Amino acid sequence: MSAGGPTRPVESPRMPSHDVLVIGAGLAGQRAALAAASAGATVGIVSKVHPVRSHSVAAAGGINAALNPEDSWESHAFDTVKGSDYLGDQDAIEIMCREAPDEILYLEHIGVTFHRNETGHLGTRAFGGASQARTYYVADITGQAILHVLYEQLMKHHERLERYEEWFTTDLLRDEHGHCSGAICRNLRDGRLQVFDAKSVILASGGAGQAFKPTTNGLIVTGDGIAQAYRIGAKLMDMEMVQYHPTTLAENGFLITEGARGEGAWLLNAAGERFMEKYAPNKLDLASRDVVSRAEQTEINEGRGFPDGTVALDITKVPRKRTLEALREIVNIGRDFAGVDITREPIHIRPGMHYIMGGVKTDSFGQTNIPGLYAAGEVACVSVHGGNRLGANSLLDTLIFGRRSGEHAAARAKTMPMPTTPASKLADVEANIAAIISRPAGGRRIAAIKEELGTTMNRYCAVFRDAEGLAKAHEIVRRLKQEAPLAAIDDRGSVFNQDVIAAIELGYMLDVAEAILVGAQERKESRGAQFRTDFPKRNDDEWLKHIDIVVNGGDVPQVEYSPVTITRWQPEERTY
Amino acid sequence: MNFTLRVWRQEEHDTPGRFETYEVADVEPDESFLEMIDALNDRLIIDGSSPIAFDHDCREGICGACSMTIDGRPHGPGDGTTTCQVYMRQFDDGATVTVEPFGAFAFPVIKDLMVDRSALDRIQQAGGYTGVNAGPKPEPNANPVSPEDAEEAIDAAICIGCGACVAACPNGAAMLFTGAKVTHLAHLPQGQPGRFARVQDMVDQMDSEGFGGCTNFGECEAACPKDISIRVIGRLNRDYLMGVLYHPRNPRGGMKPQ
Repeated sequence: MSAGGPTRPVESPRMPSHDVLVIGAGLAGQRAALAAASAGATVGIVSKVHPVRSHSVAAAGGINAALNPEDSWESHAFDTVKGSDYLGDQDAIEIMCREAPDEILYLEHIGVTFHRNETGHLGTRAFGGASQARTYYVADITGQAILHVLYEQLMKHHERLERYEEWFTTDLLRDEHGHCSGAICRNLRDGRLQVFDAKSVILASGGAGQAFKPTTNGLIVTGDGIAQAYRIGAKLMDMEMVQYHPTTLAENGFLITEGARGEGAWLLNAAGERFMEKYAPNKLDLASRDVVSRAEQTEINEGRGFPDGTVALDITKVPRKRTLEALREIVNIGRDFAGVDITREPIHIRPGMHYIMGGVKTDSFGQTNIPGLYAAGEVACVSVHGGNRLGANSLLDTLIFGRRSGEHAAARAKTMPMPTTPASKLADVEANIAAIISRPAGGRRIAAIKEELGTTMNRYCAVFRDAEGLAKAHEIVRRLKQEAPLAAIDDRGSVFNQDVIAAIELGYMLDVAEAILVGAQERKESRGAQFRTDFPKRNDDEWLKHIDIVVNGGDVPQVEYSPVTITRWQPEERTY
Repeated sequence: MNFTLRVWRQEEHDTPGRFETYEVADVEPDESFLEMIDALNDRLIIDGSSPIAFDHDCREGICGACSMTIDGRPHGPGDGTTTCQVYMRQFDDGATVTVEPFGAFAFPVIKDLMVDRSALDRIQQAGGYTGVNAGPKPEPNANPVSPEDAEEAIDAAICIGCGACVAACPNGAAMLFTGAKVTHLAHLPQGQPGRFARVQDMVDQMDSEGFGGCTNFGECEAACPKDISIRVIGRLNRDYLMGVLYHPRNPRGGMKPQ
């Protein structure tokens, strides 16, 4: 037993004040921190888990870039615009696609082991919605491979880059001018609260998949950053756009990478028909994710799926050797979680909640409407994904806009003094947490409220939606918002008190869920991931615009509109 | 299925720990081990006791968070799996199952089944990165990497840093972890600058953290959820020897960040 092991200080003895504070240490946060440190800023990076456990680690398939001489960034950008169902902002998409090849070279340079083909050159795989095979990958552990190498680089910069691992952010701070001036965080190991002063704050805390059940997202993905920013007045955008991934495991919602179809796997209905021939005669199984998920759900709803509400993914179409080399994780997942050897038999899958295109509204430098507050990665909405994100564009989004945020935040920090936060702010948060811990027993369990939220969202706000269901879901979420502050807390301790964290996270998820539902009710058309059975057509005349969601005290949030930026691609009918 | 669990409970690092015994009944064979603990925790909470603290996140075997020693095996029964990939059907009905934290001198317990694995980070921080700025980024296809080298590098880079190798080793050695990190970069052109200083700095840090040395038990390889081969320790030893003999570091010590 290791009880006699060495003791070490858990965190830095230095007072936490930094030019740039990054919240979240997945790909976006680590890339932002590295860019800011490389630009000369002092950086703090806070994460509620150890950085390499961040959910980016689960990203499987790869990262898109037009790096081959026969490819072009314009082609990548057009595919992204079309994938977004013309809701993506084309100026931001152009930036992302133009800068993508250089980012791949950067990653390669710091030691990411991208797949090499038999001649020793970088190899690519095909991905959905793309007109070229432009996805660079590391087997099916691309996220893990990049995350670990970025973490090595964070360590290399440890002299000006302080890591706060297993610190949970509870609140963002605004100073008297309305600028974001830092955050208050709780050290999970001993329950201590601490103010982190910062000239600029970059939110990079990921999405909100846990507001849905099932989801492909890990248990830590609870919408923290989206809700924190929203609560201090940051605008949210495109929140109604929730991606259902076409291939999640029937048993438990785990992700089967799109790389499987990229390598040649087929989707089949219960009759063994390759049904995508009907829905996307050109791209077939590699149409955009919203298109494929809708096709699957249509097959299932119309009785052509299996009795357990699934269709089949047949990976035996891929040569076995190639599967074992390029899809090794899903071979394991099939074996361990479904009891199936995917190289020999088809596997049952269904669409499952995977990603939110929406988030904190930013410009192409990651700036939100609150001065000093930046956002990058899934927490943000630039918007490069619009109504539907292409596979392998999310890693790219995290890295490009993480870097751009880090650089911009570092430059901004050079121009200003270090803010100092009055002690009263800390006292307020301390009182909030003490109130949570001392709640009387008797309320509903946090897990039960979370379960009701997740199943409600998945029932009414999934692949197909309508006004009636959305209104019903909204009513339930409003009720849950009243129940949540009364939920029972059992752990009254301070060391790794997961109950307190769960109570706070539940509040975040409810705020995000409401924003999603308000956006989905507002958008009375079908575009990208939002398919309204009561408004089944895309309506560019009225709805080629973003829906922004703004906090309104404890009431139902306000809705605003903002224009979509169109540079060179006018909306066209979208077929695959 | 029914089980008797013996679980290590420890309030915090400085307090003494003990095994507590819990009976769990009506467990589905297809329940995962962590789901079984979740259910037990729900019961403990309802009974007014404190739930068992354990690390977990993705529950699909990729994040490296979960870390329990089950019946003496880090990550429990089954080859090439993490704790979250263990199912109750892998145990005999009625069995007594012992659950402990990853035990190692360099992994102090934080609470119950959670341990502090930051010593592994400090090994990495001592030099486990591409450290030399070699001017502008080269066009990657200017330096072809053979598929064999790329494959070897990926087989090492797949390390999720869970620390099972340390917990499995009778010597509490971190050589499979360190070897994997060294091997990943040693197979790539961009890992060549600083290669021999890197291995010496990492080994020095590994020793100073109180990890033991490898004496070829092979337990690490058997416990590794990513099936990393013990060959990486051979690579570590070869590079370390090459470093000490032919590439000694300058007297000012380690590689400095650029």
